[in-house]
Amino acid sequence: MRIIQACCKLGLDFVCVYTAEDEASGHLSLARELGGQAFRISSYHDANEIMAVADHAGATAVHPGYGYFAEDYRFARRVCERTRPMIWIGPSWRVIRTLGDKINTKRLARSLGVPTVPGSDRPVYDELEAEEIADSLFRFQAEQGIDLARVLVKASAGGGGMGIEEVHNLDHFKTVYRRIRNYSKRQFHDEGVLIEQRILDFNHLEVQIAADRHGSIAHFGTRNCTIQSTGRQKRVEIAPGFAPDQIKYSFDAAKVLDDITNHSLAIAKEVGYDNVGTWEWIVTPAGQPFLMEVNTRIQVENGVSAAISRLKGQPGVDIIKEQIRMGLGDPMGFTQQDITFEGIGIEYRIIAEDPANRFTPWVGRIDRFNPPQAPWLSMHSQIPQDKPYVIPTEFDPNLALAIIWGKDLAEAKSRGVEFLDRLVLQGQDQEGNPMKSNIAFLREKTSDILVF
Amino acid sequence: MQDVKAILEEIKASPYEEVAILAPHAGKVQFKVAGEGTKVYAPSGTWREKPGTLLASLERERNPRPITCTRKGEVQSVNTQLDGTFVEAGTPLMVLRHFFTKEEVTQAILKKVLFLFPAPERAKYLFAPEVDKKVKVSGCQSIKVKDGMDLFIVSRMKREKPLAYNGPDGILYAVYFSYDQNVDAGQPLVSVCPENQMDMIRDVVNRVQSDWEERE
Repeated sequence: MRIIQACCKLGLDFVCVYTAEDEASGHLSLARELGGQAFRISSYHDANEIMAVADHAGATAVHPGYGYFAEDYRFARRVCERTRPMIWIGPSWRVIRTLGDKINTKRLARSLGVPTVPGSDRPVYDELEAEEIADSLFRFQAEQGIDLARVLVKASAGGGGMGIEEVHNLDHFKTVYRRIRNYSKRQFHDEGVLIEQRILDFNHLEVQIAADRHGSIAHFGTRNCTIQSTGRQKRVEIAPGFAPDQIKYSFDAAKVLDDITNHSLAIAKEVGYDNVGTWEWIVTPAGQPFLMEVNTRIQVENGVSAAISRLKGQPGVDIIKEQIRMGLGDPMGFTQQDITFEGIGIEYRIIAEDPANRFTPWVGRIDRFNPPQAPWLSMHSQIPQDKPYVIPTEFDPNLALAIIWGKDLAEAKSRGVEFLDRLVLQGQDQEGNPMKSNIAFLREKTSDILVF
Repeated sequence: MQDVKAILEEIKASPYEEVAILAPHAGKVQFKVAGEGTKVYAPSGTWREKPGTLLASLERERNPRPITCTRKGEVQSVNTQLDGTFVEAGTPLMVLRHFFTKEEVTQAILKKVLFLFPAPERAKYLFAPEVDKKVKVSGCQSIKVKDGMDLFIVSRMKREKPLAYNGPDGILYAVYFSYDQNVDAGQPLVSVCPENQMDMIRDVVNRVQSDWEERE
């Protein structure tokens, strides 16, 4: 929906696609309301469908959104190199190929002296090799004096926190390794598994990078995405990543933010990064950052960075608009000196789920969805406010994003709580039980945001 | 067990169903059948290797894809106004009238007389790994199910959880789900036949085989 709105701001025509399950999604009605077309396709995973619609509509560029093909370099290459080529709104396919693979990124980062998490730097397909790596990680942690050593086993092709399990000793490793390998094969059609040291009690930070096709690179600051579900999916994002002027940290937080920003820019320059992207970091309680991965796409949480950014002193920054503009070949038109930051932004992900029951997705019908309105609040949601909406089981039950701005942490937090208290969200499941959502969880977590 | 004869008579009273042919994906459609009343055929051959009647072709990125008939019958209506146009996925292209085959009648009756274990929620379902292996090697009727047995994995929104079978002990007679398709809540996943009723079920199958006349 934000992509549609950005196209309108730029005066660009657009068409969008949807599947039968998404028939009631608000992006369709918005598209039609704003004069665009919407075409039903068989699946968001079918590249041929997108190309067919693009050709039929005469589209000249493809924006992949936040998921699906957004980090698929083959799809990006196909868009640019077909008989009727189109412009890919995203980093060039070569950049996606280099950075889209988190293991490749880890190798590249290590070659540039950028710190990365100890562990395998390629997918492991061999059980004996996997055991050897796990063994070395347990021994390394023992040498470091870590009492309860932990190793993470991850589906290499996974993402969004899916297919990750923790192991506490080598005896348990084989069972978990096999389970993750089988899960990965079923869900992602790839048996590759990554094995890494688990760093406990960390903060998850991000650096928002933006670049044009002419060599200009800038950043839109940092975000803190530490508040996550038990399955490691983000629930609250805050910009900036730390607030050293308002909270006391046991390490030099300002230096950490500078370091991760500079490391991110160094990698972006090295690979010739040419659109927007996010560098994801974890920071240990001692203030040691490790690069986790690079998301070579616009992320859902870009809006919270935009909320605190000022371009040439002006608010109302739209990173998606900048992404499309620069993706189409426009020069950046501003420099790092033109970007300043003001206040604190909080983004809440409002999700139909049961936090008390391991964040199990809730499925049912939403009868009432009435977010409050305020000048310090922006909402993004596909849920219609004028009619009931049945949550499709095919996708994660993300309902809305709420971005709150405050001049300082205290104001942002109190506005966040006010928003959550005034938000009306009601529905029922098949058996008539009331709807479950994560609102109480978000409210509780608001009190200690940005505190390490 | 319900009266099989009565069920059979009920089906005989209305021995056909209407089958809507939808565009499987987006593309430019071209119809290949004459129109109302045309006889169309399902795939045939020992291994069903001969495709059914060509109904239409759907062209996407200069690749025409044939849409062939999967069930025997006759054309009831064709949305001819769509011929040569770009259609979205799921657009109704034509309607066929399909007369039930012996196999379909058998399945319909069995669905009424056997115990059906329903899907508790809309999700994708898989067999638990051990069961899956056995089903793939020896077929579903090699599985004896017991109340409380871990039989399925429920996969929804990329999350998986085990699901235990709840019902009478017996043989897994038929499977109604496929791992890549969502099953709606309440729809049957499998049918189960108590071991002592297997002979009776075979009689039902034999009766349908002898009583039901398939139409050309």
